[in-house]
Amino acid sequence: MNHSKKKFTPWLYHLPAFILIGVIVLFPILYTGYISLTNMNLYHWQDYTLVGADNYVRALGKIDSGFLTALWNTVVWTVVNMVLDVGIAYILAVGLNVEGLRARRLYKTLIIFPWAMPAYVSILAWRVGMYNTEFGLLNKVLVALGFEKVDFLSRNIPAFLSCMVLNLWMSLPYMIVMFDGALQSIDRSMYESAVLDGAGAWQRNVYITIPSLRRVMAPVVIMTTFTTFKQFDIVYLLTMQKGSVSGSTLQTIITYAHQNAFVSNNYGLSSAVSVVIFVLIIIFSMWTNRAVKSEGGLV
Amino acid sequence: MRKNIRSGLSLLLAGTMTAGMLTGCGDSGQSSANGDNPQAVDSAVDGQTDENTAGNENAAAADGEGQDNAAQPSGEAVTVTAWHDNDEVMMNALADVVNEKLAGENITLRFEKKSDVTGQIRLYGTDAANGPDMYLFAHDSLGGFAEMGILEPVGNLISAEKEADLLPMTIEAASYKGEQYLMPVYYETLLFMYNKALWQGDVPATTEELYEYMVANTDVNAGTYALVNQHSNAYNVAPFINGFGGYIIDQDANPGLNIQATKDAISYNKKFADLQADGDYNTVTALFNEGHAAAIIGGPWLVSGIKEAGIDLGIKSLCDFTLPNGDVMTPYSGVQCLGVLKYAADNKKDAITKVLEVLAEPEVGITLAKEFNCAPANSRAYDDADVAANEMIFAMEQSAQKAVPMSNIPEMGVMWGPAEALLAAVNKSGEDVDAAADRYQEEALQAITDMQ
Repeated sequence: MNHSKKKFTPWLYHLPAFILIGVIVLFPILYTGYISLTNMNLYHWQDYTLVGADNYVRALGKIDSGFLTALWNTVVWTVVNMVLDVGIAYILAVGLNVEGLRARRLYKTLIIFPWAMPAYVSILAWRVGMYNTEFGLLNKVLVALGFEKVDFLSRNIPAFLSCMVLNLWMSLPYMIVMFDGALQSIDRSMYESAVLDGAGAWQRNVYITIPSLRRVMAPVVIMTTFTTFKQFDIVYLLTMQKGSVSGSTLQTIITYAHQNAFVSNNYGLSSAVSVVIFVLIIIFSMWTNRAVKSEGGLV
Repeated sequence: MRKNIRSGLSLLLAGTMTAGMLTGCGDSGQSSANGDNPQAVDSAVDGQTDENTAGNENAAAADGEGQDNAAQPSGEAVTVTAWHDNDEVMMNALADVVNEKLAGENITLRFEKKSDVTGQIRLYGTDAANGPDMYLFAHDSLGGFAEMGILEPVGNLISAEKEADLLPMTIEAASYKGEQYLMPVYYETLLFMYNKALWQGDVPATTEELYEYMVANTDVNAGTYALVNQHSNAYNVAPFINGFGGYIIDQDANPGLNIQATKDAISYNKKFADLQADGDYNTVTALFNEGHAAAIIGGPWLVSGIKEAGIDLGIKSLCDFTLPNGDVMTPYSGVQCLGVLKYAADNKKDAITKVLEVLAEPEVGITLAKEFNCAPANSRAYDDADVAANEMIFAMEQSAQKAVPMSNIPEMGVMWGPAEALLAAVNKSGEDVDAAADRYQEEALQAITDMQ
């Protein structure tokens, strides 16, 4: 009796969380899966029926019409952003921890500001305040220097770089704060010993700081990688918002899915595309977890 | 003992938290009793929880105020709710006219502002508990809603005699497959709007003269413009496309992005676009309101901002500009209409009929015309001296003679994206018109196929 009570009590404690997760996370996924097997669209809004795997055949048929390009863009976007994000955040965090730095707290407070702003506001502020041809700061500077105005968002490469700069501006604060916290946890005596052994700044970084940070930062980097991989709002709001299409054809897999499925009001097809992307992200997640585990990370 | 108390307390708190969290998912008693909430699941899937909350309030109001009006004794208060994404002051003025007329009937029309009204109607159009009774939007979304089967034809609610004074063009726009689904309220077209203090001389009569004026009076690097326009927005380029004999989509749902006439119009528009800043709505509006642009192609929705900026506004119909081919610029006309959802027609038929009858009278149009420069759908409203003397309404009336009503077939809904992308590719990215037109024609055809 006592044994079975002990066995079930933990599950009982977890039950509320399981119910919540089931309702909020699991049910929408399962329902999307169900809709993906139906012909629910504008013409069958209330009388939709099961159509088997038809929508999946159509969704996979779209792979040759830009999906692979979007997938490639997404991978490049994720890699470039993460390399810069981690690299810049590391340098700035180390800089913030230099002994004798004045107004350290002020810098830390200022650095967190972009992260505290709502994403929608940040993106629109950058679109108008930085990149706009008439009112943007960048074009004001260019014109003042005697150059012609540049539409930063009208072609793919400048648009990619513009989106990337904004993404870094929005994501760096979080990464810097995490690095900063992790740096605080490193035993200072290791640096003192290294100095006594004649190690320079570069060697201290390579042999003490980076190895010490790796385990602490792994979950943060993985989470940020996912956020970057499924980025939608920056690319969409800067380049393809309805009524403000910029001219670039830059697509990530999420913007591609939105453009090719959701605007058609074909919920069956849209759901099938969503499930395909969901599976891709799950595979990506499993691969990343395995890679981290093989390196002896925490995850 | 202490351990048991702790365990019990933990369970109690966990249970309370779960119950508390799930309370928000519940609905007012009636909707669950009705069991008529099939779209609520879709709403959850689409993350529309905030709108759900608003919808619940709406439903609560409806519950208490005559959800089953048809079976209720007369005299009980009935609230008819309508969603819109228009100027709230304007919608309230419209509601005031209706409510004043129906004060003795105990019927109240209440407008609620929603972003993305068409998206919301798709989600809540069969949801009697959380959806509205009516919605106000431009007529181009009609076909999609009619095919979904969520609209009650207005002809089933109001007699033809009551609508006798409505302009035929507006009735045509409100009809789909021979059935009138919507009640026209007012219409709008694009106009040439200029700052009298900045515009030099007379406004030209041809687009070529207009272009010459733009070349002479535009300094892109200094940020001063003769004329600005949303040059990559299909609605704003439609005056060129229609004038050249092209089209975005025809009545048989054939996209026309790569037909020669459309391509000619897009090429012609490009030379204007080069002198019109980036064509973004916020940019061009700010340029005009701040006195950096002497003229703008826009509609009555810009007037309140222009008034606030203290600009002495001049108006000219776009149909007064002659294109090089001898035809005139021909804008789209958009008719703002009220649509009635099927469940509302079932539950509140009498009240909604009375609201529609008031909307069909000239008073609503006169109020909107006098206070907001809207061109009334009711022809008798133009008998009013103030309405007849309104420069903007006169220009829209002139335009409406030649304007092309936006298509209201369901496929129109997926055409705006490819059309805008085509214009942006040509005007902003400098792509070749022929190649871009072929690519976006393909995209449009794919989008139409994807609808099925």
